[in-house]
Amino acid sequence: MADSDVGGRTVSNRRLIEAAILLVLVLLPLGSGRLFSDFYIALTLRILIFGILMLGFDLLAGYCGLVSFGHAMFFGTGAYVAALSWRYLSDSVWVGMLLGLGLNAVIGYVLGLLVVRTRTVYFIFLTFAFSQFFFVTANSWRLIGGTDGLTGIPAPTLVPGISLGDRIPFYYFSLGMLTIAYWVARRIVNSHFGRVLRGIHQNEERVKFLGYNSPLLIRRVFLISGLFGSVSGTLMACFQPFVPPSYYHLSLSGEFVMMGLLGGMGTLVGPLMGTAIVIFLGDFLSTWLKEAWMLCLGGLYVVCVLFSPEGLTEIISKLSATRLLSKLFGRGDRHTSGN
Amino acid sequence: MTFSTLMTVLLYGVTIGATYTLIASGLSIVFGVMGVLNFAHGSFVMLGAYTGFTIVRLTGNFWLAFAIAPLIIALLGGIVEKLMVSRLYGKDIPSTLFLTFGLSMVFSNAVLLLWGGSSYSIQLPSYFRGFINLFGIYYPKFRLFVLIFSCVLVGVMWLFLSRSRWGLPIRAGLFDLETVEAFGINIYRVFSILFIVCSAIAAVAGVIIGAMRSINPMMDLDLINVALIVIVIGGLGSFKGALIGSLILGLAEAFGAQAAPGFAKFTTWLIMAGVLLLRPKGLFSEH
Repeated sequence: MADSDVGGRTVSNRRLIEAAILLVLVLLPLGSGRLFSDFYIALTLRILIFGILMLGFDLLAGYCGLVSFGHAMFFGTGAYVAALSWRYLSDSVWVGMLLGLGLNAVIGYVLGLLVVRTRTVYFIFLTFAFSQFFFVTANSWRLIGGTDGLTGIPAPTLVPGISLGDRIPFYYFSLGMLTIAYWVARRIVNSHFGRVLRGIHQNEERVKFLGYNSPLLIRRVFLISGLFGSVSGTLMACFQPFVPPSYYHLSLSGEFVMMGLLGGMGTLVGPLMGTAIVIFLGDFLSTWLKEAWMLCLGGLYVVCVLFSPEGLTEIISKLSATRLLSKLFGRGDRHTSGN
Repeated sequence: MTFSTLMTVLLYGVTIGATYTLIASGLSIVFGVMGVLNFAHGSFVMLGAYTGFTIVRLTGNFWLAFAIAPLIIALLGGIVEKLMVSRLYGKDIPSTLFLTFGLSMVFSNAVLLLWGGSSYSIQLPSYFRGFINLFGIYYPKFRLFVLIFSCVLVGVMWLFLSRSRWGLPIRAGLFDLETVEAFGINIYRVFSILFIVCSAIAAVAGVIIGAMRSINPMMDLDLINVALIVIVIGGLGSFKGALIGSLILGLAEAFGAQAAPGFAKFTTWLIMAGVLLLRPKGLFSEH
């Protein structure tokens, strides 16, 4: 597959749009309270937080082709570990984040050894089964709150003096984390490792014949993908001062799959768009349709699976409303099923 | 644990296991034959329970609910199959899972809109209430009925699959669809019928569970969860696997609740993990 990512106008165009989006996100808090209510900052924050996880999800599901139906386990672990560390150890956000990353690295390594034995449906089952274990544990373990979860989590500090309980520092912290995550994910995708992952998605046998140890690479991307989820969970524990066991729930894992599919997997930008759509549309629909909004979201999702399996990025690139967009979401670094 | 407690727990476990079989076998066979992982199967159970609940409340007749709820859900299943699932035949299995996951979202929220979020229970006729003395063991009358009825239904399903003219293409389809088609059998019609029948059986299970336990808008996730665990234990696409898996799960739940209350879910998970480690494709996988 031609990789037009290396040099050429596509990249410079994409850089331009990335920079523009980043600029908008950086300037967004300035308009808060003047142009729109503070509520939209909270909404954007949710997108930033889940966006980090979705980048990791895309590395695994979109690039390597292994859809995880239990990604909430990394998210939940990141949230629980961070919340516990802020309560009992230190109020530094870094301590919580590193501990979460550490535990998730162990989980990702151990489970990676097991899930790597399976593909497609069985991979979905295994990831589902393991996340189920975490849900059951969190739900019945009194020490970490049982069914109530952890409540009244103290707000962590970025550096002594700057509390992340304040909206603005937390916004920029999350934005910074997402930017780093995006940069890392983009580096991975464009690396040799990333190209081999795409190869595994298309034809694992051939990748093996070329001498690559594909199970090792799958384990590696599974672990990396989990680390993205961990950071996301840590930030969520900071955003909302409670961690319920539902952070491990199947329905959350399902929502991640939905975000990925709606946006279009294997593009990095797609899952981010999917996250934004699900969160913004969810808010919009819930004000307009009251309780019926989830029904409409589910319906939209069904329509998307039936008529545009490649997600919204595909629709946009098909419509080619603007050449710029189509170049951004176009052939650049996607690997559709065509082989 | 005395002998009579042991027998009581055993009975409870087998009863629950038999109900689970009704749910899990449909999921498993639809997957095995059609290549469709129907996440909305739990929603069919839930919708069956709610439909049955409404019928009982309107007419006061339990048997009417038992007869009509499955018909309504069968119709719904038929519509879902014709309009949506049939478009994905031959595509990859995960996309069928994604589609039906979206559908389950639609269904559970439709239930929330129509019936609200509170928990209900299907009213039983007076002769099903209370306990019966079974050789010294006091057992709820309705559960005894459920046990017998489920066993009969499972038996009929098994006979249908293994002995009837219709069961043959289904069993053959588990192994090689193309050959079945080559024999001049319209597999898409088999698919439709299979999907409809499995939806109806799910609705029967829904009415049973709605009367035995309770109905709430979250039950679809709980039940699909159970059915998926059963399938992981028993192996995809195997009727025998669904039966054994359900019994294991039902017994584990009953004994887990007896031995260590609050950890019942752990026992089921431990069994699942054990099976996955020793036999990653389940005990009786046909694939």
